[in-house]
Amino acid sequence: MSDSATGPEPSGSLLQRIGWHWRHDPKIELWLAWWTMVVFYNLFGLLFFVVTRTQPPPKPWWGPERVVQWFEEMHHGLLIGFAFVFLISGMTAIMNALLAYSIRRMSVSRAFAYSYLVIYALSTLPGMLLLGIGVTVAAMRPDRDPEIVRWLYDFAFMTFDGTMGVFLVGSLVWMVAILIDKNRVFPKWFGYFCLCNALTEVVVAPAWIFNEGWVFGWNGVITWWFQVFVFGTYTGVFITLLRKMILREDFGTGPLPELATDGAPERSGPMQAAR
Amino acid sequence: MRRADGEVILLWTLPVVGIIWISVFLLFPGFVHPMSPTMSAEEVAAFYRDPGNLPRIRYSMIVFNWFAVGLIPILALIVLQMRRMAHRTPIFSYAIIACAAGGPTIFLMADLFWLLAAFRPERDPELILLFNDMAWVTFSSQVGFLIAQSVILALAIFLDRQPRPVFERWVAHFNLLVAVAMVPACFVGLAMEGPIAWDGLLTFWLRNAAVGLWIVVMGIVLGRLIQRQRAAEGVAA
Repeated sequence: MSDSATGPEPSGSLLQRIGWHWRHDPKIELWLAWWTMVVFYNLFGLLFFVVTRTQPPPKPWWGPERVVQWFEEMHHGLLIGFAFVFLISGMTAIMNALLAYSIRRMSVSRAFAYSYLVIYALSTLPGMLLLGIGVTVAAMRPDRDPEIVRWLYDFAFMTFDGTMGVFLVGSLVWMVAILIDKNRVFPKWFGYFCLCNALTEVVVAPAWIFNEGWVFGWNGVITWWFQVFVFGTYTGVFITLLRKMILREDFGTGPLPELATDGAPERSGPMQAAR
Repeated sequence: MRRADGEVILLWTLPVVGIIWISVFLLFPGFVHPMSPTMSAEEVAAFYRDPGNLPRIRYSMIVFNWFAVGLIPILALIVLQMRRMAHRTPIFSYAIIACAAGGPTIFLMADLFWLLAAFRPERDPELILLFNDMAWVTFSSQVGFLIAQSVILALAIFLDRQPRPVFERWVAHFNLLVAVAMVPACFVGLAMEGPIAWDGLLTFWLRNAAVGLWIVVMGIVLGRLIQRQRAAEGVAA
């Protein structure tokens, strides 16, 4: 196999370095998945907050005419933005595969990894794509009956903000796996952070009951701002922790070794060549 | 019964599902001359109310409801082949399993919208138009998992570095081409006429032709692989 002759990463242009990793890095599968995750969340933020401006969400208490006006104002941003959302939606498959792998690397049953994989594979549909379908259908025909436009508006935002269970159960599966793992793949405090993320899905529930008010509407302080703040932090944290996991990876089945600390001599071996 | 025999049974479901899908395509009156997005609510309602169309819409979409997820066993066979590749992690095969859960579910939803549009054709034409739009937009734009599936398979093949790789490299190139052919369909919302519209050359004909070609080519490739495996198992036994 080609990775037997790994030397240190050569200096050179970015393209040359990427080419080297593609040919020689034994962790290339992990890095491909991790970079997919970084690119996806950056594009996700750009598309939802800037291009479509569907986050923060518009007001749940608007009447039909105001909703139609919102679709008219946002027309191109919505249609172009969600086309790109559809295009990149499949990237979630490889991200979920990386997270499932992180669980496989733990000393826990494979059932945890498989549960996580299936739950998050399903979550893309109600948690993201139905929003895009509803908004695209509404924006395509601005002359539709305003009541129907508002039905699509509710359909879009409530499927997106109000999809809770997949993320709730998914986070709890990950939490239990981390807390009982003996391979130190993730720090225990991150297990409790998973619990925080799961709880934010619980407090979203009032959005299904209150369609007005700054606290419990789908754009509310609790149901949106608090939830997004926790989820954003959580995402940033797990992306960082997954990077550390890949750096520490030894492809064994026992405890994951710690990273060599700065200044300490690095252990020799082919894995140390891979960054 | 050898393990590969069961796989042969699954593989032979592919031509059956293929024939059923082609029959649905020909039976559904909205496909052979794909319905235009420029049709008014009254025209769309008239299309569903037409006694020549209504039974064909219902029967074709009932059959598609039965078999929309019929390709999942084939994806499972691809996963099994991927597990024979010289990889260090199961990430690529997990990712194909994730695609297999996501993709077909979405096409099943498009089928539900078509059936709902045909369920009460006497309904307000605006509502029939709504279900018809949701069906076409869902059916056309949701190629994200299909694109991912082909790209992931291609990457997995490129990284299968062993003297005798599971798939030949052209299969990776073929999958990348199929992925590119599906990209325009994502942009279906941007045009009511022309190649990007849901009845257009790129979104409808190129995309569906790419799906069809993928099924045929991957069916043959998988068939040959499984046959070779069976022969090897026979020698070992």
